[in-house]
Amino acid sequence: MKKFVSALVCLAFLAPAAPALAHFQIIYTPEMAMKEGGKIDLALVFSHPFDAGHTMDMGEPEQFFVIRSRGENPPQKTDLLKTLKPITWTSLTNSGKAWETNYAVRGGDYIFCLVPQPYYEPEEESYIKQNTKLIVNVGGEPGAWMEPVGLPAEIVPLNKPYDRWTGNVFQGKVLLHGKPVAGAEIEIEYLNHEPLLDEKAFAKKAAVAAPQEAFALQTIFADDNGIFTFGIPKAGWWGFAALGLDPAYTYKGKKCSQDAVIWMKAVDMQ
Amino acid sequence: MWRSKKSAVKKLGYGALLSIFLWAGQAWAHTPLCSCYDNGDGSITCEGGYSDGSSAAGVKMRVEQEDGVVLQEGQMNATSEFTFDKPAGAYKVVFDGGEGHRIEVSGKDILE
Repeated sequence: MKKFVSALVCLAFLAPAAPALAHFQIIYTPEMAMKEGGKIDLALVFSHPFDAGHTMDMGEPEQFFVIRSRGENPPQKTDLLKTLKPITWTSLTNSGKAWETNYAVRGGDYIFCLVPQPYYEPEEESYIKQNTKLIVNVGGEPGAWMEPVGLPAEIVPLNKPYDRWTGNVFQGKVLLHGKPVAGAEIEIEYLNHEPLLDEKAFAKKAAVAAPQEAFALQTIFADDNGIFTFGIPKAGWWGFAALGLDPAYTYKGKKCSQDAVIWMKAVDMQ
Repeated sequence: MWRSKKSAVKKLGYGALLSIFLWAGQAWAHTPLCSCYDNGDGSITCEGGYSDGSSAAGVKMRVEQEDGVVLQEGQMNATSEFTFDKPAGAYKVVFDGGEGHRIEVSGKDILE
């Protein structure tokens, strides 16, 4: 009984925190696997992708860069922080400060990496910092998509995030300072409302409806080696956020959730 | 003795089978790729490679007129790139990685 009461008390503290953790840092460009190179548009938005709900104000990112790799050539890093322009992104319920840029790509893998300014969550009296990766490819020639890029917290994909068929699995390894995080908690959301870059807004129409809240935000755990596996049920973009990877991490004297986010896209076999 | 001979034959057989399998596998997993870009300064750069990520360094490259007359020749450099002066007329670029590994890129499809 004592244990049961303790569990209830713990639950009471945890329960209000759960919805607040469903934030997702998005790096979006319309296509992850391009046939040809050219200039691509990118938007950085901090929101709730399944319901296109409340969009949080982003501060000026700490880092935004891209690592290009093609075949056996050594990867090359380019700083993109100064190319970012502030925009206002409209969700279905509000507007929030976001960022946009564009970048010219040729062949190979491009790993776009964002280290955002921590976001203060007043209800939690704590910060959230989602280190985010988006990997796109041009022309099909692979590069170093499977290599860590050295973010404080990151998800390293074990499959190309841009070549998944619907029904494949997606696997990733959760790292904190380069070391696997055993049992890391990972939240998964479907990008249910298409981001419309011209309108700087989410499309109003949802692709799918969740029968219940648990389906909108799925939770899985990594194994002892920090590896997780997800079966992909539908074509489109899926976001994976490994949460609170460094319990001791603080920002401006307050607790800060050091998270790692990665995006993948699946397409239907036709 | 007989047993060891048979064993040797068996090993050879498996080895041959394995070779065929590996060869077939490599052919499938080794699609050549070549994309060319107009650098905007009168030059064109072609990037080559293979779908398994292996290097195309040393692959022969040709710039030809539509009728096959060779305008320029060279090879992919250490980073699997080949840069050449943009011809005045119609042209195509040939990535010549050998039989089954040849790609032609039409000049009119090469954009900045």
